[in-house]
Amino acid sequence: MITALKKYYKQSATYKIFSGMFNDSYEFSETLGNIVIKGLQTLKFILKGEIEWKEVMAQCHRFGITSLPITLSIVGMTSVIVASQVALEMVKQGGGNFIGLLMTMLIVREVGAVMSGFAIISMIGSSIASEIATMRVTSQIDAISVLNVNPVRYLFVPRVLSGIFMMPIIVIIASTVGVIAGAVTSNLSAGLGYRTFFDSMWLGIYMKDLSVSLLKGVVFGGTIALISCTTGFYATGGAKGVGIATTKAVVWAFVAIVIWDMIFAMTFFF
Amino acid sequence: MGICCHCNMGYDICDDIFLLDGIIRIVMSIEVKNLIKTFDEKKVIDDISFKVEDGETLAIVGFSGSGKSTVLKLICGLIEKDSGEIITSEGDIAMVFQYSALFDSLNVAENIAFALRERKDLRKKYTEKELAQIVSSKLSLVGLKGIENKFPSELSGGMQKRVSFARAIVTEPNTILYDEPTAGLDPISSTLIEDYIVRLKEETHAASIVVTHQMSTITRTADKVLMLYEGKSVFEGTPQELLRMENEYTRQFVTASLEGPMKIMA
Repeated sequence: MITALKKYYKQSATYKIFSGMFNDSYEFSETLGNIVIKGLQTLKFILKGEIEWKEVMAQCHRFGITSLPITLSIVGMTSVIVASQVALEMVKQGGGNFIGLLMTMLIVREVGAVMSGFAIISMIGSSIASEIATMRVTSQIDAISVLNVNPVRYLFVPRVLSGIFMMPIIVIIASTVGVIAGAVTSNLSAGLGYRTFFDSMWLGIYMKDLSVSLLKGVVFGGTIALISCTTGFYATGGAKGVGIATTKAVVWAFVAIVIWDMIFAMTFFF
Repeated sequence: MGICCHCNMGYDICDDIFLLDGIIRIVMSIEVKNLIKTFDEKKVIDDISFKVEDGETLAIVGFSGSGKSTVLKLICGLIEKDSGEIITSEGDIAMVFQYSALFDSLNVAENIAFALRERKDLRKKYTEKELAQIVSSKLSLVGLKGIENKFPSELSGGMQKRVSFARAIVTEPNTILYDEPTAGLDPISSTLIEDYIVRLKEETHAASIVVTHQMSTITRTADKVLMLYEGKSVFEGTPQELLRMENEYTRQFVTASLEGPMKIMA
């Protein structure tokens, strides 16, 4: 009787909904736990100075140089889109003197770091995740372990450090390009003089804004690299597993960037 | 007087040591006792025991999914056992993976020298010149020369396998594990690989375990054979005893018959 009831319950929609929710929650907790554990292990190696600088440099080149054209294009175009919609209206309303301030605040505080983060996730994060996931499904990570080399030291440390080092530099360059793109667009769309734009730029921008922007770069870069490495590291199966790991890395990194950005906004500007 | 790393007894009373040319040698062996491993409530390894001595090769055979590769992964610590004992003598365990598992972003020389460059205890022990010499000597041992700068994707399956042999022995391991070393190779390349398994055993005097499906690999490389079915040991003996087919499991395996106690899911 009890067995029959159990069987009936297991076929019911209620069971399927709850078991689905449980499985999703379990998978979420497992991924989060893996990211935290791998983050701590990576930190331990960094603090102990067990860093392969040659590999860090190679990863820095990949993280920074190869992604720069796309990152600059995305931030620059975002700036053009915003300026082209805002500049003319502000000039009409008599606020032309504040366009430089508005654009700079927007780019330095938000667009520069966040859009760069999104560009890096789609280019570098996905590439790191698929690379490490492929190494996992082709037993290369097992081979690293059998050769008595710690995979976290060999794979995670250089990638996370390259993210931490390169992302702030990318944010600075991207923000500069964004501000220049905003100035050019304001001039072309609303006839705003460059001098007016750049004079107003400094009215509301403080060292705190620049520091927070750089700090965001450090945190975003480290987070993207860590999440990408971790999801790739725990990939299972074959080609499908690589695809799942890559998607997971992109989704988790996007959400993490937004959560970090909210934490920064509430901590420094609330 | 030292203590044997194998049985923790003094050298004077330990059975695991013997005198060779007046030098005390510790037997490089591996012993597995009552090993059990479960995945999702299914026992994939069910109470397996065996011992492989120094310079000896054990072939683990059986149908796909019988738990052969799991045994190797348990021995080299890639997965954790549920219960039982795995006793290995001090020293390295090397593994040759089914599809070589060479690092595709590194060239052949970097692949072979990987452990010497990256392992904590070996890092900075060798100069680049010494590393190049070691790589060259290991490549010679597996019959390859002048391919140091090639990448794995530029090599044939057989060459990749031999490079993975060279990578495995670079730290001079006491135990070498081969996971289906001839999988995906043509018969001639398979024979070559089997010859190198024998040669490496003679050169390194390591205890070797070969997981295989192929009769030629068993007869050419193994000193003894362990047959698994559904995680259980169903035969243990020499290759000659396996070929005598005195056991219903060995008969079915050797004759490759569908009729017999071992059922394969269609």
